Amino acid sequence: MTNQPVADLSKSPLPTAKTLRMRRSLPFQFTRFLAFNTRIMRMVLKGHH
Amino acid sequence: MAEVVILGAGVSGHTAALHLRRQLGREHRVTVVSPNSQWNWIPSNIWVGVGEMDKKSVVFPLAPIYRRQGIDFRQAKATAIHPDGDKQDSRGAVDIEYTQPDKAGTTDSLRYDYLVNATGPKLRFEATPGLGPDGFTLSVCTADHAVEAAAKLAEAISLLKQGKPQTLVVGMGHGTCTCEGAAFEYVFNVDHELREAGVRDLARVVYLTNEAQLGDFGVDGMVFDQQGFQTTSELWTGSLFRERGVDAILGAHVSSVEQGLIHYETLDGAKHTLEFDFAMLIPPFGGVPLKAYDADGADITGRLFAPSGFMKVDADYTPKPYEEWRAEDWPTTYLAPGYDNLFAVGIAFAPPHQISRPRKSANGTLIAPSPPRTGMPSGVMGKTAALTIASRIKHGATTAPHTASMARMGAACVASAGAGLTRGSAAAMTMLPVVPDYQRFPTGRDARETRGEIGLSGHWVKLMLHYLFIYKAKALPGWPLIPE
Repeated sequence: MTNQPVADLSKSPLPTAKTLRMRRSLPFQFTRFLAFNTRIMRMVLKGHH
Repeated sequence: MAEVVILGAGVSGHTAALHLRRQLGREHRVTVVSPNSQWNWIPSNIWVGVGEMDKKSVVFPLAPIYRRQGIDFRQAKATAIHPDGDKQDSRGAVDIEYTQPDKAGTTDSLRYDYLVNATGPKLRFEATPGLGPDGFTLSVCTADHAVEAAAKLAEAISLLKQGKPQTLVVGMGHGTCTCEGAAFEYVFNVDHELREAGVRDLARVVYLTNEAQLGDFGVDGMVFDQQGFQTTSELWTGSLFRERGVDAILGAHVSSVEQGLIHYETLDGAKHTLEFDFAMLIPPFGGVPLKAYDADGADITGRLFAPSGFMKVDADYTPKPYEEWRAEDWPTTYLAPGYDNLFAVGIAFAPPHQISRPRKSANGTLIAPSPPRTGMPSGVMGKTAALTIASRIKHGATTAPHTASMARMGAACVASAGAGLTRGSAAAMTMLPVVPDYQRFPTGRDARETRGEIGLSGHWVKLMLHYLFIYKAKALPGWPLIPE
C-alpha cells in the first residue's frame, strides 16, 4: 500500500468492550430491533406521501 | 377501457404494476414490459456476492406472478416512445423489441393511455476502460454478477489459505457513481468472510470511493443525535473502518483498469495506481437508452431526456450553485413536463442535481457521487405514479396527482457486516428526508428519525426485509399491508 492516499482514521473512535458486548447481546439487540422497526414505520407514516 | 404500460419490472415498476392492478377493474389493461424474465431483490445480491446466499434465493420468475394477477407481461425492451401518438392515432405508443428466446428480435408497438418509465439503470461499465465482468473487475449489480464475484472471492480465500497475500479492493468504478451503500456493505461482508476463513491477517482490504468523506453515501452524509451529542456519519463509519482494519481511499475517480491494476485520480489531482488481486467496483449508472418522437416522427429525445439518459420530470433543472439548491427542486409527481400521462420513477427519472456537494479534481475531473434513488424511495415513487393513474382513470384525467418527494420521504439503509442469526452484524441507518432540507431542519434532516447503529439487530432487519419484500413482490396474501 505504499504511496496510496489512505485516509488517516487514527482519530476515529474505537468501540469499547462494553459496546462490542452490547452489539451482540440478544436481549439488548431485540430492543434495538423493535426500535428500528418502529422508526421505519414512523417514517412511512410521516414521509411517504 | 384504459391501457397502462409500465416499462421495467424492478422495485418501482413492479410496485407500480401491482398497485395499479389492485386499484383498477379488470376492464382496464396493465402491461409490464421488461427485458428480464426474473425479478431480483437486489439488496441481497450482496450476500450472493460473498457466497452466503444462492442466486435462487434472490430471484423468481415474473410471468407466473403477472399471470395470477392479470397483468399482461411482455419480456421485451422498450426502444422508443411516441408520447404524442403518430399520424394514425393520437394516443401515445411505445415501441418494443422482444427478448424472450422464442420471439427474440421481433418488434411490436403498444398504444397507451398512461406510461410509466421505470426502466432502472443502464450499467455503464464502458465509462471506465477495463471496468466490469467483461474487463478486469467484478460487480454485484445483478444476481449473475454476484455469483461470479462469490466464485472469485472463494478463489482469493483459497490463495490466502495457501499463504499468498491478497489485496481485495471494493468500491466505486467511476467518479460519478451512486450506490456507495452497496460497496460499503460488500466490503464489510468481504471482511467478515475473510475473518470467518481465518485469513484476514494476510489480506489487505481497500475501500476505494468517490465520496469525499466516509459516510457520505451520496446523500451528503448525515448528522446523528446520539447520547446527547450530534455526531456525523463520517465519524461513525470511520470507527467501523478502523475497527475492521479496512483502508479507505476517498475522493477517487477510477480512470481505467487493467489486469491487476486500478488507475485512479484523487481530488487533489494526483494520479495513482493500485495493485489488486480481487476487485468489486460498482459501475456508473445511466438511463436505459430510449428514443422519443413526436407525432410527425421528429426526434424529441433531447426534450424528454437529460444527456445522462434519465427522463426529465417535474423537477427544477435550472443550473445553480450548490448553495442555492433547495428541497423544492426535487420532483413530487414524476410527470414528464408537458404530459399528464407520462411518468418516470425510480432510477429512471433525472434528478435535478446531486445531493452531495459536487467536487472537481485539480485537473477538472468531476468527482461527485450521484444521488441514490433505489429501495424505499423507488417503491414509493412507483406507488405514487400508480395512485395518480388509478385516480385519473376512475375520476377523470384532470384529477390532482398524488405526490411524494425525496425531500419529504425517508429511507433506511441496512448494510450487513456479517452473517448468522446470533453472530451477524450490520450498520443500520435511517434518514428523513433523503434530500436534506436546511430550511426545515438545522442539520438538514429530522434528528429524531436520522439514526445510525451497529449490531446484530441490523442483521435481523436486513433478513426481515429480504423475506418481506420477496413476499410482497410475489403478491402473496396481504402484500399491500407491507409498506414500500
